[in-house]
This record gives sequence, structure tokens and C-alpha cells, in this order.
Amino acid sequence: MAPLLEVADLKVHFRTDDGVVQAVDGISYSVQPGQTLGIVGESGSGKSVSSMTVMGLTRSPKSDISGTVTFDGRDLLSASNEELRKVRGNDIAMIFQDPLSSLHPFYKIGKQLMEAVRTHRDVSKAQARDRAVEMLGLVGIPEPRRRIDSYPHEFSGGMRQRVMIAMALMNDPKLLIADEPTTALDVTVQAQILKLIKKLQTELGTAVVMITHDLGVVADVADEIAVMYAGRIVEHADKRTLFDAPRHPYTWGLLRSIPRLDTARDHVLVPIPGRPPSLITKPSGCAFNPRCVYATPESRTTDPVLLPTAPGSGHLVACTLSEEQRASTWKGIVGGEDPA
Amino acid sequence: MAFYIVKRLLWTVVLMVLISAITFLLFYVLPTADPAALRAGRSPSPETLALIREQLGLDRPLIEQFWSFLRDLFLHFDLGNSFVNNEPVRPTLLDRIPATLFLVFGAAIVWVVVGVTIGIVSAVFRGTIWDRILMGGALLAISAPVYWLGLIGLFLFSEDIGKFGLLPGSGAYQDADGVLGQAHALVMPWIVLSAAFAAVYARLLRANLLETLSEDYIRTARAKGLSERRVVLQHGLRSAGTPIVTVLGLDIGILFGGAILTETVFNIPGVGRYAFEAISRGDLATIQGTTVFLALGVALMSLLVDIIYAFLDPRVRY
Amino acid sequence: MTRSRLRFLLLAMLAISAFAFAACGGDDDEDSASSGTTSNEEAPVADVPEGKRGGKLLELAAGDVDYLDPGHSYYQFGFQTIYAMHKPLYSFSPTDAQKAQPDLADGDPVISPDKKTVTVKLKKGVKYAPPVGREVVAKDVKYAIERFFTINVGGQYTAYFNGIDGAPKENSKEFKTFPGIETPDDYTLVFKLTKPVGVSFAAALVMPVTSPVPEEYAKKFDEKNPSTYNTNVVASGPYMIENNAEGKLTGYVAGKSIKLIRNPNWDPKLDYKPAYLDEIEIRTNASDANVAARQVLSGSKMILDTNPPAQILPRLERQFKDQFTQVASGGYRYFPMNTTLPPFDDVNVRKAVLAIFDREAAVKARGGAFVGDIATHILPPDFPGFEEAGGLETDLDYMKNPRGDAAVAAKYMKAAGFDSGKYEGDEEVFIVTANVDPGKAQAEVAKAQLEKLGFKVRLRTVPQDAVYTEWCQVPSKKVNMCGSAGWFKDFADAESMLVPTFKGAEIRKDGGNNNLGQLNDPAVDKAMDAAALLEGDERNAAWGAIDKQIMGLAPVVPFIWDKTTLIWSKDVVGVGNPYNSLVDLTFTSIK
Repeated sequence: MAPLLEVADLKVHFRTDDGVVQAVDGISYSVQPGQTLGIVGESGSGKSVSSMTVMGLTRSPKSDISGTVTFDGRDLLSASNEELRKVRGNDIAMIFQDPLSSLHPFYKIGKQLMEAVRTHRDVSKAQARDRAVEMLGLVGIPEPRRRIDSYPHEFSGGMRQRVMIAMALMNDPKLLIADEPTTALDVTVQAQILKLIKKLQTELGTAVVMITHDLGVVADVADEIAVMYAGRIVEHADKRTLFDAPRHPYTWGLLRSIPRLDTARDHVLVPIPGRPPSLITKPSGCAFNPRCVYATPESRTTDPVLLPTAPGSGHLVACTLSEEQRASTWKGIVGGEDPA
Repeated sequence: MAFYIVKRLLWTVVLMVLISAITFLLFYVLPTADPAALRAGRSPSPETLALIREQLGLDRPLIEQFWSFLRDLFLHFDLGNSFVNNEPVRPTLLDRIPATLFLVFGAAIVWVVVGVTIGIVSAVFRGTIWDRILMGGALLAISAPVYWLGLIGLFLFSEDIGKFGLLPGSGAYQDADGVLGQAHALVMPWIVLSAAFAAVYARLLRANLLETLSEDYIRTARAKGLSERRVVLQHGLRSAGTPIVTVLGLDIGILFGGAILTETVFNIPGVGRYAFEAISRGDLATIQGTTVFLALGVALMSLLVDIIYAFLDPRVRY
Repeated sequence: MTRSRLRFLLLAMLAISAFAFAACGGDDDEDSASSGTTSNEEAPVADVPEGKRGGKLLELAAGDVDYLDPGHSYYQFGFQTIYAMHKPLYSFSPTDAQKAQPDLADGDPVISPDKKTVTVKLKKGVKYAPPVGREVVAKDVKYAIERFFTINVGGQYTAYFNGIDGAPKENSKEFKTFPGIETPDDYTLVFKLTKPVGVSFAAALVMPVTSPVPEEYAKKFDEKNPSTYNTNVVASGPYMIENNAEGKLTGYVAGKSIKLIRNPNWDPKLDYKPAYLDEIEIRTNASDANVAARQVLSGSKMILDTNPPAQILPRLERQFKDQFTQVASGGYRYFPMNTTLPPFDDVNVRKAVLAIFDREAAVKARGGAFVGDIATHILPPDFPGFEEAGGLETDLDYMKNPRGDAAVAAKYMKAAGFDSGKYEGDEEVFIVTANVDPGKAQAEVAKAQLEKLGFKVRLRTVPQDAVYTEWCQVPSKKVNMCGSAGWFKDFADAESMLVPTFKGAEIRKDGGNNNLGQLNDPAVDKAMDAAALLEGDERNAAWGAIDKQIMGLAPVVPFIWDKTTLIWSKDVVGVGNPYNSLVDLTFTSIK
């Protein structure tokens, strides 16, 4: 089956007064219809920029974008602004981190929802309104017919995110990009929202790109996971593989920094030391090497390429260590060994 | 909402009484000179002064004077008689109000349209040469005093004393026939009066719009597939323009006061001009009448702004 | 919304206080309230250009007239219109600033030898404008003067007329007829005076109050308080303000415009005024003097009400030579010294102050030579008594040098007992002046002069309105020197110039005092009483001598005799009337 979305060697560079920011530096991934791809990384890893670029939202006189983005057989990067606009909110929808600031404070939610559908379809106000009520009910807003005339500030955080989701799904998009959809919410609400997304995906058959800094979030919903660091994908695997046999030291770090239900209560959460590198002047060699406890002289000079762990494998890793070294080190970590 | 408006209305009434009290105090209790002496003319005798005091009621207890002042003002809108020519202040004031309203609201429309347009263009094309030219021009307009701008305008473009006779000059308003003729006569005053305001609004709107356009909900609007025009002119302007409404109301209020200069330069028979004459002749009754009117104008505009604002920003309703 | 509410309150306060403060900065001249002047021409009879009949003139004026009622107006701008539309008993033609012309009167007033009776004959056939239309008779003038003394009408210069038998000292609530005004027939007025003041009384018959008022028409307006005759006034002169069948003025819109048209009942044979113009519109809101002056100079058929702004004055000589004239304003400005308090209770100290004083600097502070001449004594140029008082010269050593003379000053300080030639006492000199220029600037000049003599000076600036009424005119405030004082005459007679300001008997201890220096010299008072009875050249000589006598006592530093500049469009033949210091509407014409 042809992928719904295929991103190949995507680069997004921004020219600023301080220099060129290499926000996204050659990434490739694909999403199948109805599937969920999780993109995980710290802030500044380029995960949001790459998905915004898919939507055409990073276009500006100061940005350089190269590579290809093929959606449903169409090349979005070369599409005109108008063509792209027709795709946005229609074929591809997006929801964001902070549902309060993402909704217009001065418009009733009904108006904002109806606008989404009326922009792309020639429907009457009444039809649009019915659709909005339907979608609000679908995402679990109680009394949608009444609440449709409320302003965003009259909803709680979780309800707002439900409104956002309803708005995103107004046009039955083929792809939903969810950019940190739960980060601003408290834990119980997070779970509800994730459950909702999963449910809707199953019911509506929408493909999802879930962007998060939290591996825990994608653990449940994603089919495949791509880990991004400094504008590159450093590891890409199906969910099971990624959690069971991660092969990149950065992924290890991410895994060790999240609480897991299946580990012992006294398990120590270990944050990744250091801070993400500047995207203007990246370190030589592997971009992660200054923070990597397994760094070798080779990793400081050689920029590793994303390669399968074994020929024909779908598990891709960009690391200068050999597969054997990585496998044995992970084994040690799982066994409770502290990294050197 | 109704409760809010009622509350706000009552507050305005309280304000008006307060303003009247302050005006009364300033003009009758703490005057720079005895009002009776001011009215009496040159070298009056004590007997004349006593008679005038009696006539003006200045010999009565203060509270009684204030009460009758308030009663006349609020029940009859009676502002007393001019100290200079004994003509009642009210009819003259009423006669002058339309010109001032025409001047002020006309100018407000000009500056909102011009200011908002420039603000949007500058924000959308920020960093370009157009942005720089427009914002540079705005800075110039802000620094130019109205009086100076008025004279320059007249000396350059008025039909009678200008180098290039393009527009009706000083005094044309009075000779103009009909609303259209008056509007034509007001073109230059409008431009002069609105220049600085338009510039301020352009800068304000540009800044607001740039800030708004980086908001998450604008990103949402774009992600929904709205056209850029709609994103900027509807979603962006809706937020960026709301603070403008607040300042607009107050600025129109201020302008009632600021109209003095424009009306003077362009010889428009408005309230500002009336106040100016009264001031230059020490006509306390007239000064007081125009002050109360102008204060009323400011208070009403402020009331209007608060009510409109409550409609515009759902978050402040209560 | 607390924010906007607070901002609003602040604004309201600002607006109010701006008005309140601005209100204090009114006109510089308390006294320009009055009228009058003399010609600055050398000859008493001036040449006035012949004009062409017809045309419409537009006068641009910064503000409205005070009143159109001839019994109420007391500002020269009001007088300008009044003299064009009324016929007072006498008035001044621009052709002769020294001697009044019989206007409604037929011939000069006859003063009895005891100076207690003045008889005036009236012209026959003078008619009121519509709607009254009837012939003017003597009892109309009698009524005009009697109503002048009521509170309703509010006559303002009653002092010139309260010598009439039966006239109250002050305006009264009730209208009274005066036994002292007799009308033996329709064309004869006999004024009986309680004191022998006939000469100065006769001189005052040029005031607008002597214009006739038809009682049967005006009574209903005069019964109101205030009288509404002001907007129903009926004309007797060459012009009238447009009115309706009831007499209500339709051509007068307060603060906007006054429209004068020809009075159809006016008979040119009964008037010395040519009245060339067909119509005169006075626009009383030509607000900005700068704009208005340019409109007049570059426009057509226009005149300006009074002085154009200072910055235009230098261009007049260069660019608009035939479009302006200057007339003396008929007054003097001075720094009075309080003769009842140290240090100025010593005549030698006062003389030293006059000697040291740089009057040229004080004139500069007011705008320089274009605004007036440096004064050497009190009576202004071409005024009766001016030549007799020394003309532009002076015999007094302490008035000789307009830039000040330190040596002469030192001489008088020594005479006052200060051997160093400088003041050695510890009295502080307290000066009160206006908080706006030029009052402020000229007082600062005065302060500098006094400091040259070693005085410690305290300068207090107060709002213009308060300078006179709250300080200088109130002896109990113990002001040593008034920083912005001036006196302008009402009519061409020296008595009205010198008596209120220098006669000891005129001092009012409880306020409203115009003898600012509180000069109380029995010899001066006695001379004034004697001079009041004289007529003609004798009179001028006597008052000129009194001027000298006063200057010998040095109670004031006179420093400037004001001039007024009048401008008009190039197609206008403007004629200034020195009596009123403004353009004479009845002599001005269009080319």
C-alpha cells in the first residue's frame, strides 16, 4: 500500500540575524493510512517544525525548505500556497499543545468550528452548525447544542482540547497531526484525551502523527516511533522494537527518564545530562556526542547515518557504535548496570 | 450585561456630579480673582460688587450655591449667563456643538481608517521598505504639533493664503452650505487633526497585530486552511483591534479638548473655539459651561468604550 | 475596567485644570478694556483719503464685541461697531483727534460760567432705523443716560456722569428719572450738575451712552435683568445690524458674526461721516491672528480687528507698505511705587529708581519699538496736555536717559541718606505681576533695575486676573511695586487720565484702588481741582503742568506709550480712528 504521507530528506533552515538555524536537517519517514506515527524528541529537536512544514506553515521569505513531502500522491512542498491552504484543515488537520491559547478568545467555539468546515465545503450555516454539534458530541462535550455558544474561556482545559479535536476532525481529515496534545493538561485528563484520539482514530480511520517529548504518551497510541535529536531522526522502529530493543543512546536516555509501570518502584529515573545543542552551530561528528556517555573518538568526528540494524530490518539507528556494542550495552542497562 | 451597563451608568452620573463639584470649586470657590470683580468691569465700587454678588448669588452659603448650580445644570441644563455679554451660555453652546462633533468624529473616522490601514500594511509587510517608509512617516506625524501642522497646511494648500490652492482654508466652514459643503471645508482640518492620531494608531495596530499574528490561535486559524486575508483581517484584527477601541473612545474624549487648537487655526465655530474665546476674556460662566460639556463628552465616551469593550471582549463581561 | 476609569478621571481633571489655568492667563491689559486714543499725526487735523462709495467689507476679529447696547459696552471693539450704527451727541472723526465733532448734537456744548450747567442742541430730522423709524428727540438721550444707571443695563463708566443732579452714585436696581436732565423742547438737552465739573462732563459726551434710545421701544427689554436691548438694539447712525420687524437682531450671532447694512433712514446731510461702504460683515471668530492677518494682507476687501501678531509687523514695512497704519493707543504703562511704604516713601529713593531704570529694556520686553514709544512722562503723545507736559522731552535729570543713568541714581541715593549710592536698608521690595508675558518679562526688567541699586527684590507672579483685583488695587496687601500696570483714557481729556491714578482723594483703602502709588499730595490735588474748571488751551496747559508736578514727585516709572497697528487688504482704503485706536468703519472704503 502506498503511504499516505511520505517525507523524504526534508530540510528546513531558517535564516536569522544570528545565523542559519538548521531546524530540520534531512529527515525521512512515512505514514500509512490509518496508522499512527509518534515523533519523539526534546524541544528544539525539530519535531514540531517538520510537521508544520508538512502543513506549509513554515513558509516564509526567511526559510529554506528542501526535500520532498508527498501526501496522497501529491508533492506538498512544490504546491502553491492556495493548493496547500485547501489541504490544511481539510485533508490534514492539526491540534496543538495549549488548547486555551489555540482557540480564538473572542469567538464562540461554534463559530470557530463552523468556520473550519465552511472554509472548505460549500455548506449552509445550519448544516455547519449541525456538524459542529455532532463533532462536539463525538469528542465527549456534554450538552453540545448548548455549549456550542460558549466562549473558549468558559471550558476547562481538557474540554478545550476536546473542542480542538472536534474542530480538527470537522472535515474528516486523512491525517491528524497532534503536536504535544496533552502536555498542558493534567495527568488524568491526558489519559482521557489520548484515549479519545485512539478511539476516534479507530472509528474514523484517520492517520495520526503524534508529536511529543514524552515516550510514555506514544507508548499507547503509536504504531511506529521516530526519535528526533537536533533536527535528525536518530532512531526509527515499530513501537515494540523501540521499547524492547532500543539501539540509540539518546533513546535509552529518554526511556530511563520516564516513569514506567512495569519497572520497580525504587527504579531511579535518570535525566539526560546536558542540554540540546544549538541548531546554528552543531557539534562535529554525532550531534549527541557531548551528552553521550558512550561517546567514542569516532563519534566526535564521524557524523553517523541512519542505517538498518540488520540488513532488511525496519529498525533504523544513527550511531557510530557497532550493533554488538549497542545490544550489549542495552542489555546491561536493562540489567540495572549504571552507565560508566 | 444589563446589570453591568446600569452599574456603569450610575458610576457615570456620580462622576458627572463630582466633575461639576470640582468645576464649581475651581470657578467659584477658589477662583483666581473674585468672580464679581471679573464681571463688574473696570474699577467697580464696593457697592457695585455687592450688587453683583447678590445677583450671582455669591452672598449665599456655599452649599446652597452649589445646590442651585447643580439644580440648574442637571434639571435645566442651564449654564448661566456669560460674564462678558450676558448672553445665556446654553444656546450658544448648543449652537457650537454640531461643528465640534462633525470635526471630531470626522477626524476620528479619518484616523481610524488611515491608521488601521497603515498598521495592517506595515504589519503584513514588516521589515520591508514599505514598512520602514510608513513607520518613518508615522513618527514624523506624531512629532508634528497640531497647531504647526495646521498653519503649514494653510500656508501651503489653502485656497486663500496657500501656495497651492487645493482645499478650502480657514473660515471656510462658516461659509459652507449643507453637510457636503461643510465636509469639504473640513477636509484639511480633519487631515491635520487626525495626522498624529493616525500615526499613533498605525504604530499601535502594527505592534498589536504583530503580537497577535504570533499567537497560537492564529496558527490554528492557518492550520484550519483559512485564507491569509481572513487570518489577518478577521482573526488577527479582531484581537489586535480591540484595544484600539478602548483608546479610541478616550482619544475622542481628549479631542473634544484638543479641538480648541484646530478650531482656532481653521476658524471653525465649535465648542473649543468658544472655550478659547471665553478663556481669553476671563468669561468664567462660559469657561465653566464648556468645561462641563467637554467633561461630559469625555465621561460619555468613556462609558461608551467600556460598554463596547464588554461586547468585544467576552472575557471581561460580568 | 478600573484602568480606563482611572485614566478617565485623570483626563477629566486635566481638562478642567487646563481650563482653570488657562483662564488665568487672559488678556495682558486690564485696562485695554477702555477705548480711546489720539492721533499720532503732527497736525491736529489729519488728511483722510477720499473713498469710493459702495462695496462690502469683511472684518476679521479674534472675538466678539462685549455688547452692542451703547449703554453697556465698554470695550473698544464694541465701540467700533457702536460708532458705526449710533449717533452719540459727539464723536471723534479720524480727521481731528483733538476736538470732538457734533454728531447727534448740533454745535458745541454750551457750558455755563459756574460750570454747573451744560446745554446741548440736537439736530433736527435724525431718524431711527426700522422698526422704530421715528425722529430722534432730546428725551431719547435723557432715557439713554438714565437707563445707563440701572443694574439691568449695567453702565460701566457712570463716574463720568454721576455729577448729574439726581444720578445715583452707583447703578441702582430701580429705574430713576433725573431732575438734572431737562428737555425743554425736543431738540434741547440741559444737564444740571451738582458740582462745577461741566468741562470734563462735556468732554465725556462722546461716550456711546449718549446715543439715543427710544424709551417706548426699549422699555420692555430694559425691564429684564439683564436687559435684552443688547440683541434688539435700534440704530440711529449710518449703519444698522440686520433685524426683523420686531427689531430683533438677525444679523448678530454671538461669537460668530455681525452683519452691518445701511440704515435706510440715515440722512447723510445730518452727519459728518461719509459711510462709503454698503455692507460690513464682522466675523467675530477669526480665531488665529496669524492666519487672519495673512488672509487680510493677501486677500481682498478685508480688515483685521486690531494688532496683527508681532512676527508679521516687520514684514509690513517691506511688503505691505500701503496696507497698514499705526495709531497711538492713548495710554501709558508704568511701574507704580507705593509711596506709603519704605523704601519708596522717600522721594529721593523713587527718583533714584527712575534714574537707574532702563526703560528701553522694558519696552523691548513688550515687543520693541513697533509696539510703542519710550515714555518720558505720563500724558501720551498728541493727547491734550502732552506738549505742555514736555512732549517727547523732559527736564528731569532722572528721566533723561532711557537706558538709565547710574551716576544720577547714585546722586539721589546719596540725597536719600545712602552714602554709598546704593540702598543699605533691609527693606525688601515686593513686586507683583502677571504670570504670563509680557507682564512677567517687564517685571523681571524692573527687578533687575532695582537690584542695580542694591535692593533685595521679591517678585511674585500671579494670574493675570488677580494682579489688579487681588493685589495692586488692594492697599492692605502692601505691594511695593506693581509689575504690570497701565492706564488708557476713555476720551481726549487729561483729567480722566490723571485724576483716578494720582489724586489723593481717589485712594480707596478697601480695594478697587486705582491710585496704585497711593500718591497723596495736597498740592497735586489742589491743582487738579483748579484745572478741572478750565477750558481750552488753559486747560491743556494746566493738566500738562500737573503731569510735570507728578513726575517731580516720581511716584511711578512710566515706560511706554502704546501704539496700535491696523492692517487691511490691498483693495481697501483703511482709515484708523485715533480716538478708538481701531479702523473707522464709517471712513474706510474699497478701491
